Parts: sequence; C-alpha cells; structure tokens
Amino acid sequence: MRRTTRFAPLAVRGRRVIGAILATFALFSVVSVVLSISATSRSQNRGVVVEVAARQRTLAERYVKEVLLARAGVQVNPGVTASILRRSADVLLKGGTAPPVNGDDDETTLSAATDAIARAQLRQERRLAADLTAMGAATLAHRPLAAVPVTAHEHLSGSPVERLRVLAALTSNVSLNAARTIATGTDRNITRLIDIQVILGIAGLLTSMGLAFALIAATRRQTEHFRSLVTSSTDLVLVFGVGGCRYVSQSVADMLGHPEGDALGDGFAGFVHADDLAAVRAAATQGEPHEIVFRMRNRFGEWRELEAHVTDLRRDRHVRGVLLNARDVTERVRLEEELTRQAFHDGLTGLANRALFRDRLDQALARSARSGDPLAILLVDLDGFKQVNDSLGHDAGDQLLREVAKRFAEITRPSDTLARLGGDEFALIVEQAGEARASSVATRLLERLSDPLHIAHRELALGASVGIVLHTGGIGQSEDLIRHADLAMSAAKEAGRGRYEVFRQDMARELGELLGLEHELRLGLQRGEFTLHYQPEISLSDDAIVGVEALVRWTSPTRERVSPAQFIPIAEASGLIIPLGEFVLREACAQTARWRAQGILPEPFVTWVNLSGKQLSAGGVAALVGSVLQDTGLPARSLGLEVTETAIVVDEPAHDRARAELQELHDRGVRIAIDDFGTGSSSLAQLRRYPIDLVKIDLAFVQGVEHNAKDAAITANIVSLAHALGLPAIAEGIETDGQLASMRELGCDIGQGYLFARPASADDVGRILASALEGTKPVSAP
Amino acid sequence: MTERDFRISVDGRSGRQRLRSGDVRFAVSNRGPDTHELLVVRTDGSRLPLRADGLTVDEDAVKSATVATLDGRGAGTAESLRAHLAPGRYVLFCNMAGHYLGGMHVDLVVR
Repeated sequence: MRRTTRFAPLAVRGRRVIGAILATFALFSVVSVVLSISATSRSQNRGVVVEVAARQRTLAERYVKEVLLARAGVQVNPGVTASILRRSADVLLKGGTAPPVNGDDDETTLSAATDAIARAQLRQERRLAADLTAMGAATLAHRPLAAVPVTAHEHLSGSPVERLRVLAALTSNVSLNAARTIATGTDRNITRLIDIQVILGIAGLLTSMGLAFALIAATRRQTEHFRSLVTSSTDLVLVFGVGGCRYVSQSVADMLGHPEGDALGDGFAGFVHADDLAAVRAAATQGEPHEIVFRMRNRFGEWRELEAHVTDLRRDRHVRGVLLNARDVTERVRLEEELTRQAFHDGLTGLANRALFRDRLDQALARSARSGDPLAILLVDLDGFKQVNDSLGHDAGDQLLREVAKRFAEITRPSDTLARLGGDEFALIVEQAGEARASSVATRLLERLSDPLHIAHRELALGASVGIVLHTGGIGQSEDLIRHADLAMSAAKEAGRGRYEVFRQDMARELGELLGLEHELRLGLQRGEFTLHYQPEISLSDDAIVGVEALVRWTSPTRERVSPAQFIPIAEASGLIIPLGEFVLREACAQTARWRAQGILPEPFVTWVNLSGKQLSAGGVAALVGSVLQDTGLPARSLGLEVTETAIVVDEPAHDRARAELQELHDRGVRIAIDDFGTGSSSLAQLRRYPIDLVKIDLAFVQGVEHNAKDAAITANIVSLAHALGLPAIAEGIETDGQLASMRELGCDIGQGYLFARPASADDVGRILASALEGTKPVSAP
Repeated sequence: MTERDFRISVDGRSGRQRLRSGDVRFAVSNRGPDTHELLVVRTDGSRLPLRADGLTVDEDAVKSATVATLDGRGAGTAESLRAHLAPGRYVLFCNMAGHYLGGMHVDLVVR
C-alpha cells in the first residue's frame, strides 16, 4: 500500500526541526558534561593515587631506617610506619581513606583502581609491603630471616639490611609503577574522552547543521509552494497596510494589464470604480466587513465585479495588514442579473411582469404613504386581441403585443412602471398623478393604439378598455387597487369598449354582490334550490301545443326568487353553468318522459332546453344528452336544444367540435334551434353549416314588430331566411294580440309568450297539456 | 622467555639454561605485574657488581660484557631481543631497583 505524503505546515515542521536541533545540542552537552565530570573525577583520583603511591616509597624507606635505628637501640616505633604502609597499600588497591603519615596530615580518600595491570601491581605492592614489615619485625625480634614467609619473591638473600632495602626498593618500584600505570591509563582515558568530545561536538554540529539546512530548505520549498499558489491562483490577493496597497498577486497585475507596482500604494484606487472606492478603503483599513463586492477596470477597460473576502491580519506579525482575497464574479453577477431580469420581466415585450409590477406598486404605495402624493394605476385590456390571435395566428398576436408595448412605452414617463400582466392585459403605474393626469394618459394610450397597426401584412385597428384606479395618497393595499382597476376595466368593457373608466366605490359593491351570489348559487345547486318551469309553444297555424321551453328557476332561502338574468351570467362566468345545465337537461327530460308516460303529450311535442355556449365549448354535450335520454327513456325527437347564435360562433377548434357534437345529436333525432336569432353576427354561410331545425326570433324584434318598422323588417327577413333554409321560425315574447297578428302575417310558424301562457310549474303545464289533449282546444292565456 | 615478579624463566623453566652459539632472538614476555627490563651480560659466573645504592647492577662496570639490553616494559608486553651469543656464560637479568637482588636473573650457557 502506497503511503501518501502528508502535508505538514511549515510552522509545525519548523518547530520540530528546531526542537530536534536543541535536543541534539542538549544530548551532546549532557554526554560531554558527564564525560568531563568523570574525567575530572578520575584525574583528581589519579593525583591522589600518585601522591599516596609516592608516599609509599617514603614510608618504605622510613620503615627500613626505623627498623635499623630500633635495632641499634634508638627509641623509635617502626610498627606505626609499618601499619600505615600496609594500610595505604590496601587503600591503593581497594579504595578508601589513606591514613595520615603525620598527625597533622589530612586524610586522603581515593577510589579503587580499575585498571587490571594497576590492580595487579598494587596487589604486588601490598604483598611486598607485608613482606617488608614481616621482615622488619623478624629483624627486630632477631628471628632467623629465612623463617620469615615472604610471598613476593623467591631468591631474596643477603644480610637483613640488604633484604630490607631490597624489599623497600621493590615496594617503592611497584608502587610508583602502579601510579604510573594509573596515570597513563587516565591520560589515555582523557585523551579518548577528548577525542569522543571532539567527535560528539562535530557530530552534534553536523547534525544541527543538517537539520538547520533541512529547515531552511523546507522553508524555501514551502515559501515557493505558497508563492506558486498565490501567483498562479486566479484569485486576486491584495494586502493593505499603512500607506495603502502593499502587495498584489500576479493575477491582479494580469487582470489590470499593469505591472504590479502600479497597483501598490494608492495606485490601486485608480482601478476601482469611484462608487465602490469608499467601501474598499473602509474594508482595507478596518478589516470589515468580511465580504465586499466592488468593481475594477480590467486591461480592456471593462468593469469587472469582484467579490472579496476581507481578513484582518493586522495583528499577524507576518502580514501586518488587511488581506483581500477577491474573485472575479462578473459572469455570475451578470447571470444573476439576467435571471432577475427574466424573473421580473415579460419575455415577449421586455416590460415588467406581474411580479415586478406588484413589487413596484408596493414601493410606489410606500412612497405615497410617506409623501402623501397620489398615484394612479391604469389597467389596459386590448379589445379584439383574441380575434387577431385566432385569425392571424399566435406569431401575429405576439407581434401585435410587442408593437403595443412599444407604443405604450413611448407615452409613459421613465418613472412610470409599464407592465404586461399576461395575455393582452397591460398595466401602468403613474406616480404623483390625480384623475386629470390619469385620464390624460389613458386618452393618449387609446389614441396611440387607434393608429393603424401593420401586422402580418394586414392593417389592424385596435381598441382597448382601460380601468383607472386612483390612490389619493397615504396607506394603500396593492391588491385592492389592482382589483379595483380590474373592476373599472370591466366597466369600460361593458360600457362599450374603446374607452376608460375610473373606479368608483359602487363598482366594488357590485363586485361584492356578484361574489356573494356566486357563493349562494353554488350552495343552491348542492341544496336543490333550482326548479324548472315550462312555457308552452303554440303552432300559429292551429293553436296546438307543439312543445315547451324549459326555464330554470331559483328560489334562494335568503334572496327568495332570483332572476335568471341575474344568476345565469354568474353561472356562466363561474363555470357553474355546466352542473346547472346538466340539472336542467336531466330534469326536463325526466319530466317530459313522465308526461309521456301519462299520455298527455300531443305529437309532435318537443321540450326545448337552453344550451349555454360554455357547455358547448366545454365539450361532451352529445355524450351527456345521450346518457340522459337513455336514463329517462325519452325519445330523442322529444328533446330540442336551443343554442344561441353567439354560442356557436366561437373560436375555431371549439367551433368545429361543437358543430360535430350538434350534428351527432341532430343525427340521433334531437332537435336543434338557433336562439335569439338576429342579435348575433352569424352569417348565412355559418348557419348553413349547422344542423338547425328551427330558428327562434329574439323577443326584442318580436315585441317591436307591431310598431317599429325596422324591427318588422328584420323579423320578416328572419322568417324569410328561415323559410329559405327550409326551417320553421318561432317567435318568442308574444305578449299582445297585435304582435300575434303581425307574426301570423309574416308567416311565422310557432309562437311563445305571455299571450299564450306564462312559464309554469310542471304540474300546471301537465294540467294544461291534459286539458288540451282532452278538448283538443287551443291553449290560451290564463 | 617470560619475566614476572621476580623471576625469569625460559620455556617455563627457571635455573640455568643452555643454548647454541650464534644469533639468538629472545621473545620476551613481561607477565608483570611490575615493569621489567632485560639485560644480557657475559659473565664469569660471579655475582655482578652493584652500584652504590646497593640495589642495582652497575651497568657501566659490565658495559663491555653487555651483549643486549631491553628497556623497561610494562606488564603484558611482549618484545623481541636479538643478540649474537658467542660460546660462554651469560646472565640475563632485570635491573629495576632491587629486582636483580630480588631474584630476577637467570644463567645461560652458550656452546
């Protein structure tokens, strides 16, 4: 397994090396001192040994003299000298305290000899000393010398004096030679010690030098290592101290396109954006804040965004400054700006989007709250944009929106916020604007919009509905303002489009009313508060009942009877028309089936159910009708569906599907009628594409037929048109005999209205049907 | 030849030694413990004259008869001593103080 080299910071390695150097010195010093102490001690011992050994010679000679004097009768005591001599010989060999020669001599302490030769010599000396003193004692005692047991020699002969002198000489000789041996050995030891100390010193010095060189090399390597890191790093490293910039890395010079020296001192300031200079100086002198972003001009004259990490190293004795570690984050900043722009701008027109609009509005409201200045919001909805989109395609629609945005932008002030909220809806915040200015802006928007637009090789004239809401200053809620602007815009649309409306509080009240109604409508559907009334339809040729129109009625527990004119638009707008329409269809079919079962229905008889445009465009009508007919057992021919003109003139895809579904129902036998004919803009060609069985003339024409020549003419044309298409016509809303007469005169086939019968409950209508069948008499008004 | 305190032996034997005349190499080993020297002196068999100290042979007096000398060597040393020995009587001795008198001498008869 390969070992990886662990990187140790220089500080750690340096401490270790210095520690090793000191330890080496300490070790060598201790060894040297110990050796020196030992040598000194030995040297001292040697001196003592030599001294004592030299003294042995004197003692031996003195002993011989004292023996001779004593033998001659002189009063001396050789025994004391003999004792000292023997004791000293013993101490020389074993170590210890040598006895004083004279009473006033100091005692001498010495350690035992260690050298083998010296010890042998000292042993010999001790034997000789013993022989000498034994020989002396025998001489004094006049004993025969030959009987004295001597151990150190074999051939001693001659007179007692000679023998004593020879023994004394031998003792002296061996004693001095032992001292010499010890001295020589000690000298040798000291020489060796000096050699060892020299070797130790050299070794210690070399080791320390080696370690020091290793440390220096490591320092250099590490310095180079960090220098390489700093110089080759793309990060910009700058150090600031007293007098400005003290150090810049090579990367800074590369970026600036100037030598490093140009950025030093106060030169650095020349490259920093003037707006950021104060922040950079503050960070460079105080070490705070820890993160700053500033701009620097690069070699190409571009401003680059730098993000710097600021580290205060003024207390670090190696740096003594503030370190800025900066990175070029220009691309990131630009990306962030672009993402922010995309997040807050409409991709198509480049205008502010809804999120930015809300943000700006909140800011404008905050300013208004502080200053009390009024502001206005204009909500613009293009009229007829949907048709452009449908007829010319989405690309043309997009082009139109861009052109409109451009025109609006020309009119607005830079301080105003123009936004596209989505689809064809634009919004404008006009600050410090009252009603007069807001109205003026709205007028100019509409005027500018009315100039012809050239889109997809077509010249288009576009209108818009503008809702204005005024905030008179102070605290305001953006949501409320937008909702109110929306209401005002709806009011402008209702008032005929191509105009502006300023929001009034009663609009909000209407809104509240509508919202409440929608809620109750939803609850009413769940609670079964809806019932059906039926209004008979009479053949104008023979007054026979030929069908009924099913009409929904709502009796709310809180509002009592609510007019269909009131709740049907809400049901349409809220989508509740889908479940409501299904209820009507199912109930009408079930009731007709019951009537059939009761045998009170004439033939032919059709129950007509109104079909909403929403139901048609939502799809699935054919399937629903098929299912209901199956469930109720009602023959398809007994069911008729009334479809308004506007319901079938819808956008293309839904249009085709709706037509296909109606065709399918028609093929099954279900009757299809065009309701309110004459109010829409359907063309003959469009009508011919639909499977229509009956044309229903709007009551507005019917009721004017008697006295209004135009209405009469239109009605006559509708009847003629229907007949030309081979379709019967039915006139609704006949209330007077005059109207009835006129319609009969025009050749209208069927009539419906209060003149014949008001809408009535199923039971009431059942009774009418029963009685009509029984008497086969025409129905008349109750 | 071995020297020790205080006798001289040749091939482990003390007492008079015999040798053929001619060039002789003495391998002298000092077994100590004292320091010893070796002198080879032609003699007529009488005791060698002593110096005034009465402890050492008067080397000047026997200088003409001295055929070889080996200076004092410490115990444990081994030296080589060459000499041309004509037929006659010789005495080999150590002349450290008292050693000759202490018995460190051996007679050598060369033929």
